[in-house]
Amino acid sequence: MRRDKHIRWLIAPALVLLAAGTLYPVIYAGYLSLLQWNWGSEAKFVGLRNFVRILSGSGFPKALFNTFYFAVCAVVIETLLGLGLALAINRIRTGAGLIRTLMILPLMVSGIAVSLIWKVMLDPTLGIVNYLLSLVGIAGPAWLGTVPTAMPSIIMIDTWWQTAFTFIILSSALKSLPAEPFEAARLEGATPFQTFRHVTLPMLKPVLITVIIFRTIDTLKVFDIIFGTTGGGPLRATESVQTLAYQTAFKSYKFGESAAIAVVFSLIILALCILYLVIDTDDGEKA
Amino acid sequence: MTPSASARRALWPYAVAVLAVAVSLFPIFWILTIALKTRFDAFAMPPVWFFSPVWENFGRAWSSTGFSGAFLNSLIVCAIGNVLALAAGIPAAYYLNRRNVPGRRTILIWLLISYMLPEFLFIVPMYVLFQSIGLYDTVIGLALIYQVFTLPFTIWLLRAFFADIPEALAEAARLEGAGTLRIVWTIYVPIAAPGIAATVILNAIKMWNELTIALALTFEKAQTVTLAVAGFRGYASIDWGAMSAASIIIILPMALFAILAQRRIVQGLSLGAVK
Repeated sequence: MRRDKHIRWLIAPALVLLAAGTLYPVIYAGYLSLLQWNWGSEAKFVGLRNFVRILSGSGFPKALFNTFYFAVCAVVIETLLGLGLALAINRIRTGAGLIRTLMILPLMVSGIAVSLIWKVMLDPTLGIVNYLLSLVGIAGPAWLGTVPTAMPSIIMIDTWWQTAFTFIILSSALKSLPAEPFEAARLEGATPFQTFRHVTLPMLKPVLITVIIFRTIDTLKVFDIIFGTTGGGPLRATESVQTLAYQTAFKSYKFGESAAIAVVFSLIILALCILYLVIDTDDGEKA
Repeated sequence: MTPSASARRALWPYAVAVLAVAVSLFPIFWILTIALKTRFDAFAMPPVWFFSPVWENFGRAWSSTGFSGAFLNSLIVCAIGNVLALAAGIPAAYYLNRRNVPGRRTILIWLLISYMLPEFLFIVPMYVLFQSIGLYDTVIGLALIYQVFTLPFTIWLLRAFFADIPEALAEAARLEGAGTLRIVWTIYVPIAAPGIAATVILNAIKMWNELTIALALTFEKAQTVTLAVAGFRGYASIDWGAMSAASIIIILPMALFAILAQRRIVQGLSLGAVK
């Protein structure tokens, strides 16, 4: 390949957009987090006081706990369910394409529409879910309306919405696995479980880890389905870090404090990703 | 093994699939029925399963304040956002596809980090910036800020598609005196066209459905369809019929995408996650 001195210009537009879209905001958010600034008033430099305030207050730790509670449960359920469905549908010869098409539909639905659909379905008195439960003699809970059931309801909603993602990717990965190892396992008389444990799972592992990372980052950033259903209630039971950052900036107009929340949370996500890179020796440069 | 036992064994994946499809589709189907019922039927308990559909809810949703304008805004944002992402992303993907170009690794890590950042880290700074330069509450501003996620995604995917194109093709064109831009435009873009289509569709879906950023950076003039739908919740007496109809209106275009371009979407999602 002959060296091409003009090639640098190819990356320039993307770098300009990336710098404007991520580099500037990151630096500016860092600076904002050191200010006491309510939109419309005079900004005052306060050093780390915002950080002390959010970490010693009750709102942020609670939101952090809620967010991790949501993320861990949702990721575990969606990964296991997606894997199970992918394994089952992998055995289907006729109609698999149609099944996949129908199953990715929830993924196409906007988070706000997902919220409204489930708000209607989970309504304690008029919702179809409690009606169907009453048919089999179960008195359904008030789902999004009580403290102990609100977050599990949000987890259930996210499971309906996003399991298609884990399913589709694991499904594609399963389809592209080589046939020989399975042939060998069959000839050695391995049980289906042994085949899964020693052949399928090791080969799926890289994809499985990738799916888990993607879902972890996405669930930690959860906003839409909480904003659209409970708005963080009842009694802050479903307040996530991002809904808290929204409230702080656009309802209380405390821009400095909101920036501090976003900065701390970004560092937590970054730390998690670095942890993953340390654990996983592969540097993601397979392409 | 008796024939019936083996038949049962062959059938269980179908049972799982039918159940999964039913659970996936029922909520969408249910909201569609509510959108097509009269107010009286929608609130009936036990639910009315057989009814003659009425269209008035769709009329009320569509003509409610700002809804049709928001629909148009979202279409424009999807179009501009995709044009920007392709204009900057295609050359960038070609660049990053080449070995030993300066800054390659740094840029790739940067792309991953921008995907990781929680929206509110850049929303607040962008709000301040947009207020001062007049981009707040404009579709252009929204399409620009959407590059935070569309551009990394576009570059990431196209790089994977470009990687499958043999370098000998570019070499041959270069010997005939074609410049880099012409090589990208006449060789890489046509061959990777299916991949580019997948990218455009996935970007459109993401931008069409986006709520968080639009909520903070638009107000009224540039409000998107997600915000118009969000407007239906939170009144003292919720108009369930219109709310359901609005949800169906926002779901429909993307559902059609999914059905018409299922293979492309799956290919794009898988490539994005695995490479």
